[in-house]
Amino acid sequence: MFNSQRFFRLKKKFMRIINIMKKDYRTYLGGSIILIIFLSAAFAPWIAPHNPYSTDVVNRLQGPSLNNPLGTDSVGRDILSRLIFAARPAVYVAFGGLSISIFFGLLLGLTAAYLGGIIDRLIILFFDFVRAFPPLILILVLLAIIGPSLISVIIILGITIMPRYGRVIRAETLSEKEEDYVESARSLGAGKVRIVYKHILPNIFASVLVLGGMDMASMIMWEAGLSFLGLGLQPPLSSWGVMLQESYQYIQTAPLMIVWPSLAIMLTMLGFSLFAESLRVALNPKAGQEGQK
Amino acid sequence: MFVYISKRLLWVIPTLLAVLFLLFSLTYLLPGDPADIILGPRATEEMAQDLRERLGLDRPWYEGYIDYIRSILRGDLGVSIFRNRPVFNVVMEVLPYTLALTFAGMGLAVFNGIIIGLLAASYQDSWLDSLLTFISFLTASTPTYIASVLIIVVFSVNLNLLPSIGLGEGGLLNSLYYLIGPAVALSIGWTGYIARLTRSSMLETLESDFIQTEKSFGLPSYYIIYKYALKKAVKPIIAVVGLGIGRLLGGAVFVEVIFTRPGLGRLIVNSIYERDLPLVRGGVLVAALLFVLANLLADISYAYFDPRIKQE
Repeated sequence: MFNSQRFFRLKKKFMRIINIMKKDYRTYLGGSIILIIFLSAAFAPWIAPHNPYSTDVVNRLQGPSLNNPLGTDSVGRDILSRLIFAARPAVYVAFGGLSISIFFGLLLGLTAAYLGGIIDRLIILFFDFVRAFPPLILILVLLAIIGPSLISVIIILGITIMPRYGRVIRAETLSEKEEDYVESARSLGAGKVRIVYKHILPNIFASVLVLGGMDMASMIMWEAGLSFLGLGLQPPLSSWGVMLQESYQYIQTAPLMIVWPSLAIMLTMLGFSLFAESLRVALNPKAGQEGQK
Repeated sequence: MFVYISKRLLWVIPTLLAVLFLLFSLTYLLPGDPADIILGPRATEEMAQDLRERLGLDRPWYEGYIDYIRSILRGDLGVSIFRNRPVFNVVMEVLPYTLALTFAGMGLAVFNGIIIGLLAASYQDSWLDSLLTFISFLTASTPTYIASVLIIVVFSVNLNLLPSIGLGEGGLLNSLYYLIGPAVALSIGWTGYIARLTRSSMLETLESDFIQTEKSFGLPSYYIIYKYALKKAVKPIIAVVGLGIGRLLGGAVFVEVIFTRPGLGRLIVNSIYERDLPLVRGGVLVAALLFVLANLLADISYAYFDPRIKQE
């Protein structure tokens, strides 16, 4: 009885969010950009017109043509194909980094909220410690220690962003813990794990979702930025940041070459922010009456 | 308010100690023997020994840490390995450029952001509002390095209007001219953010009772906006400026690298490439210090504008 009621309440809440999002153009615009990126990542070998690694030095630094719609880079590789394949590391970083942030955020946030006392204090101290650094500088220093690679970028970005989740999860768990329904579940004899899993997790899901949408975008942004500085993914791998780095040397002679990866990154950021914004508006309890504000 | 500020000030000390600890342990965390990495394969054992002593690698770590903190308190950040000059001097030489860039970027962002936000709010729900809102969205989600690259491509390479490298020589005017591109690039993201904040804060203010009263007196709407509403609506913007300065310090790294300008960010990136450990430590320490100060400023200004914290 109790459970099915809660299920319907969640379902109703969910449908309300979907209905508000359906009326917002940002959902469609942002959603289709995100979809295009995911599709390119999943089907890159079938969509891309050329092999992104095959060089052709005779036809280097060419402008757009029928054979190479966006032209060729400094060693004659097809820019469009490289752009499409570069969606893959972007998606890996976004999902990988976010999973690490959410996993450790949940672990530390729930532990802090449930155990309290000195452990709570220590965990908060750790969060504040990570946040005390300028984010870019912390990432650079950690990368210098571990060495640049896809995996280290994912781990470091995940850890750097994690305190945001940890804090939100801790705060929401603390407030949910005091709610009547959690009290009643506890008095019925539900264990801590069951309470967290059945009652607390579904309720902090919404805040984590909005944060997550924005952070996927910022992880992709960081990855490209770090690779641009030569401290992230390494050439010849195709990543938007590596492409920026390679074409930066030719910015005076072949400026169009750097524009393509720039546009790809900009569109990605825009897509994720539009979608997250429409989600944020829909999750706001006041939404629906006020429209988009 | 006083209690809040003193608590917040005290909190800076453990934060800085933790930062110092991470910087100190870099010596041990970096893979391989630092002396070998820095000196390369052709170094003699004596040179390596000498460097290990200079870096304090021949002693237990806690002694080294205490010594490190002592020397920092004296203002001694060590000597750069490749430049053979005190790190303090190297950092202080480039710091003014980074600060000028950051403040110019923040100034532009506040100025343009408020204008865009006000325009959008005054023509609420018109096509101009939609257009400006979309533009602020687009700029808010544009990474600094993309803004820098696109500014160079459009204004330096294609239109030949702005320089793309360096600081400019002689004269304040020339320096300002060289600052335009980098400062605009740095400001882009926060311009959008501040524009959105201004718009929503302005709309909220315009709905409040005291503005409705002014309206009922028959005062013209532009007069109400500039004379009364603006004063109240800019408060949340002033509160985020401190936060923004911290963020822009990070963005400045990219701007300095892309526009090849000397500055703290580029210094840190280069010292990481070169594995110049004392310089990495010193540069990061100063950057972290600035960041902590900017955050402190942000928290205090928040408290100032938030009566709930103010009362504490």
